[in-house]
Amino acid sequence: MADLISYIVRKLLLAIPVILLATLIVFLMLHLTPGDPALSLVPPRHTAADVEEVREKYGLNDPLYVQYGSFLWRLLHGDMGTSVTTFTSVSGLVFQKLPRTLELMAIGLTISYSIGIPLGIFSALLQNSATDRGVMVFTLVAYAMPSFWLGIMLMLLFAVKLHWLPLGGTVGGFASIILPTVTLGLGNSALTTRMMRSSMLEVLRMDYMTQLRSRGLPEREVIFKHGLKNAVLPVITVIGLDIGWFVGGAVVVETIFSWPGIGKLLVDSILNDDFPVVQGCILVLALFVVIGNLLADILYAYADPRVRLG
Amino acid sequence: MILRKQLNNFVLSWRNSRGFKRTILDVVVRGSRNPMVVIGGTIIIIMVALAILAPILPIADPTLPEIRVEERLLPPSERHWFGTDNIGQDVFSRVIWGTRVSLTVASLAISFSLLIGVVLGLTAGYFGGKVDYIIAGTIDLFWTFPAFLLALAFAAALGASLFNVILAISISYWAGFGRLMRGQALTIRERQFVEASRALGAKNWRIMFTHVLPNCTAPLIVWASIGVADAITIESSLSFLGAGTPPSTPSWGNMLNLGMQFIGEAWWVPTFPGVVLLITVLGFNLLGDGLRDVLDPRMKGMRR
Repeated sequence: MADLISYIVRKLLLAIPVILLATLIVFLMLHLTPGDPALSLVPPRHTAADVEEVREKYGLNDPLYVQYGSFLWRLLHGDMGTSVTTFTSVSGLVFQKLPRTLELMAIGLTISYSIGIPLGIFSALLQNSATDRGVMVFTLVAYAMPSFWLGIMLMLLFAVKLHWLPLGGTVGGFASIILPTVTLGLGNSALTTRMMRSSMLEVLRMDYMTQLRSRGLPEREVIFKHGLKNAVLPVITVIGLDIGWFVGGAVVVETIFSWPGIGKLLVDSILNDDFPVVQGCILVLALFVVIGNLLADILYAYADPRVRLG
Repeated sequence: MILRKQLNNFVLSWRNSRGFKRTILDVVVRGSRNPMVVIGGTIIIIMVALAILAPILPIADPTLPEIRVEERLLPPSERHWFGTDNIGQDVFSRVIWGTRVSLTVASLAISFSLLIGVVLGLTAGYFGGKVDYIIAGTIDLFWTFPAFLLALAFAAALGASLFNVILAISISYWAGFGRLMRGQALTIRERQFVEASRALGAKNWRIMFTHVLPNCTAPLIVWASIGVADAITIESSLSFLGAGTPPSTPSWGNMLNLGMQFIGEAWWVPTFPGVVLLITVLGFNLLGDGLRDVLDPRMKGMRR
């Protein structure tokens, strides 16, 4: 147990520079914008006095490192600025939308795993058969398919032509969530299937599997009781990468299906030049990825004691 | 006959060479026996040809100066293979011109990423020590971030233009190449030929670029191919969201964005650009996966 705790502490310490980089990128975004940064922080209709006030408030005349310091200080107090279109606090806006995005990702991840894991096992057990080839073709196509196009095609088929499901938004209740989550889940299931297949193939070649068979254990028990446990571990580690994929996917999918989450908020704010909200959304999504990776690492170390020593 | 002999001599001279030339020869000769490489390569050659020949192909003008009301949203027909869009522009011809934008952006972005990744990764892996500690740390930081989110952040800050999209993708994608290059350099610097050339008095940069780098060509080619596929997806996603290629330029992402708005009345506007996008991305993925199997079976499954 002690080694697990020291592993978690080490991982937590390693996450700090990544979080700092996220804040630095979000901070520098303001200075990358062409023109006066103060103009990005004032509403579209403003007076020269407003610009001066913002310049004074955010210390835009100070050296960059002083500005970054005060940016971090404000972040620590949960202050991410004020939206220039709705005049509400960015943190309030972002955290109000966050649950919607989490909902989408959780269901999408479930769909991805419930397709990918069985399909991967199945195709590994039937390696080089026609079924296996078929599954591999499916993963190639599903991986190459951009999630926004998959979303549009599903929408065209099920909402526009067949009228089975709503076009977008949340008014349809459960029916509304089907298309966005299936879009996210299907795209990601290609990765999960490939991962599961190669990991299962590796385990099937292990000596202990032969040993179990030679002891006369039924094939089903060898594969599903002893093989699967080890084969599924590497698939858990990629949950961190999956979350990175889902964050990008959510931005696109929420925009297509007008799903009121952070992704849609981000895209709307980019189009409306609402710079403080763009910064807030990107920071929260980045933190989300960092925390997701951290949780995946801890989960992996908990499940596989060998990892903790590395 | 003479041509054949020349070709033979050429192949022989390259076969006897080592490093870079040898790898290129391997790619062509051994790749032509792998179905994935052949299919992927064929798709890419067709796409590149379409992109280059777009201005001289007998296709309609991709951009119209004004709306042609009588040609608005026409379904696919003999005259307009992929139909027309909301201002009467021919979708087929816009898809072809979109190939130009997508391939240019993706290949330039991946070239820049390769340049940054190779130089930083090579320096880190070759020198080791403190240099490695700092560079490898930076690489890992960027690697943790999802490339799409980072590209979106940069594109949103810099504003929508072709150059900014290339810049945004390069900044967010180089870490993968850096990681790969560092790992390769770490093992190759221990090889005897590196020690031998050091004993002969070769300078560090000479060893790095004439001995270590050519030995990493195979994995770099594989990853560059997969990288182009990813870059095409990122570019079209950014354009789809309105943060990428400016709307005046015909690009697949822009066309899909437009198609979304007319999804109820014109299914062909969002469908066809996506089909071509899918085929192109598939082509680069197939080439990369196939070459990986051909050049180094040990790299199987080492994909993000």
